[in-house]
Amino acid sequence: MNELRIALQSLKMSVKTRMQYRADSLVAALAVFIRESANIIVIYLALLKFDSINGWNVNEMLFLFSLLFLTYALVVSLFADLRDFSRMIREGRFDWLLVRPRGLLFQLILNNADIIASVGHGTLGILLFLISAGKVGIRWDFATILYYVGAIVGGVLLQGGMFIFFSSLSFYFVETNSLREIFYWNMRKFAGYPISIYHKLIQGLIIYVVPFAFVNYFPAQYLLRKPDMAGFNEAYIYIAPFVGGIVYLAAYLFWRISVKRYYSTGN
Amino acid sequence: MENIIEIQGVKKYYKIAKREKGMLETLANLFNRKYETKKAVDDISFSIKPGEIVGFIGPNGAGKSTTVKILSGILYPDSGTVQIDGFIPYKQRKQYVKHIGVVFGQKSQLNWDLPLIESFELMKFIYRIPQKEYEENLKLFIDLLDMEDFINQPVRQLSLGQRMRGDIVASLLHSPQIVFLDEPTIGLDVVAKERIREFVRYMNKTKHTTIIFTTHDMQDIEKVCDRLIMIDKGKKVYDGSIHEIKSKYANFKTLELLLEDGSKELKTFDISVTPMSAVMEQLFSEKNIKDITICESEIDDIIRDIYEGRIVLDRPETERN
Repeated sequence: MNELRIALQSLKMSVKTRMQYRADSLVAALAVFIRESANIIVIYLALLKFDSINGWNVNEMLFLFSLLFLTYALVVSLFADLRDFSRMIREGRFDWLLVRPRGLLFQLILNNADIIASVGHGTLGILLFLISAGKVGIRWDFATILYYVGAIVGGVLLQGGMFIFFSSLSFYFVETNSLREIFYWNMRKFAGYPISIYHKLIQGLIIYVVPFAFVNYFPAQYLLRKPDMAGFNEAYIYIAPFVGGIVYLAAYLFWRISVKRYYSTGN
Repeated sequence: MENIIEIQGVKKYYKIAKREKGMLETLANLFNRKYETKKAVDDISFSIKPGEIVGFIGPNGAGKSTTVKILSGILYPDSGTVQIDGFIPYKQRKQYVKHIGVVFGQKSQLNWDLPLIESFELMKFIYRIPQKEYEENLKLFIDLLDMEDFINQPVRQLSLGQRMRGDIVASLLHSPQIVFLDEPTIGLDVVAKERIREFVRYMNKTKHTTIIFTTHDMQDIEKVCDRLIMIDKGKKVYDGSIHEIKSKYANFKTLELLLEDGSKELKTFDISVTPMSAVMEQLFSEKNIKDITICESEIDDIIRDIYEGRIVLDRPETERN
């Protein structure tokens, strides 16, 4: 249970750190919330006019978005150090992890939590879920709840895996932010909408290359069964909760190989 | 007694991408990178017995940090063997680092915004330190380093000396047998330095901790260490007692001459080659000298002379031990 105590102490430290600057933290979390909400409001207003996007009405769209925000809230409370990993390498803070008797990823995951982003995205995610979940025709029974929880866990692992993958690249290149900007953040923007609206090429990217589709689109399809699913292999909605685990495992293996470079070159 | 640290023929070369001036060259570089090899550590061997305090010195860029990183398991050596306390650091990282403590004077491991105690608590869990041992160590360190007053202040409000003491405690709470102190006195005032030296000596005396201490301050070495290892350009240039180096190079005398015209001149002689009487004779015949002062060679001066190439050391004849 020692691991749990490290996690709790780390979380306590992250929270206490933010509480040092109480007003600032509150404003920052609010700013994240408002920034993200703005996108949602635009879509909301647009849908008042158009009624639906490829068959998805307002509430279904909000439900699709809620998965993105909820998983991200958990991702930044666990993988914050991996999101900012290239900076950690540059500042030489990675050395500290190497002289402690714990796994490196273990320390990176437990160490810091981005409380601000977590609260901002999390609040919005919960809000969108509460607004939409009752109105999209999902029967919330044991099976759907189990699937839903699995999808959230899978979504967290999938994005965490991507952060681990991009962090591993830091062992080869000094600066990896632009790669991450293109592949992670831009793909995440695409993932806000039903992917059936995009060109095949972009669909391919978002299913096979940066598989955000398994974070929200396919899980939402399992629960909502919209007609545009006809364009994709139906198996995807069943495997969606497991894709995260696979991506995470692959990223972990890539990390194991890449971290060896650090031992041989330093920073 | 068995050696606790044993390193043999350790080499570490870095490949550095060569940067060329000019647009065309930069462009060409993108496709055909040229590398330069920097020999950070070039065939270093030494061994250390349990309970020794060894001063590890050398000019900037001599390879000190790289060596400390190899010893603490952060870097693989390109060749050579490293055996510390029965472990091969870079191969058995997790097992090995339980037994060592590392302080990088230039990099803090403390949480900037929180009181020291929070970072210490985290160390307790990370190193699985039993509560009793943790409390005893913490109490002892707080007493010895006089930390009572600032233990509850956020680290960002601490002075450099206070912060450094905090960093040292964080690295020693798990009672490591071997401690690497990489410039723990850098930027500190005399009082703060003295406090850290006293603490290091105490830990070595009472807990029999083996300590490697890198520094640029010769006072640190003279007051704390029994033995000195000096490296330069990746090679070991001296390994022996402080006393030895002093007596060995006490032959180098520096004379300060005050001439008739009021100007001053410094002359360094090796009196084992030219006896003092001959030196005097020669000087008096050449110059109009008003006064002569013989400067005792302090360890500081000796080291400076070695760094600057005025004294050429013979490579250590044979390995110690």
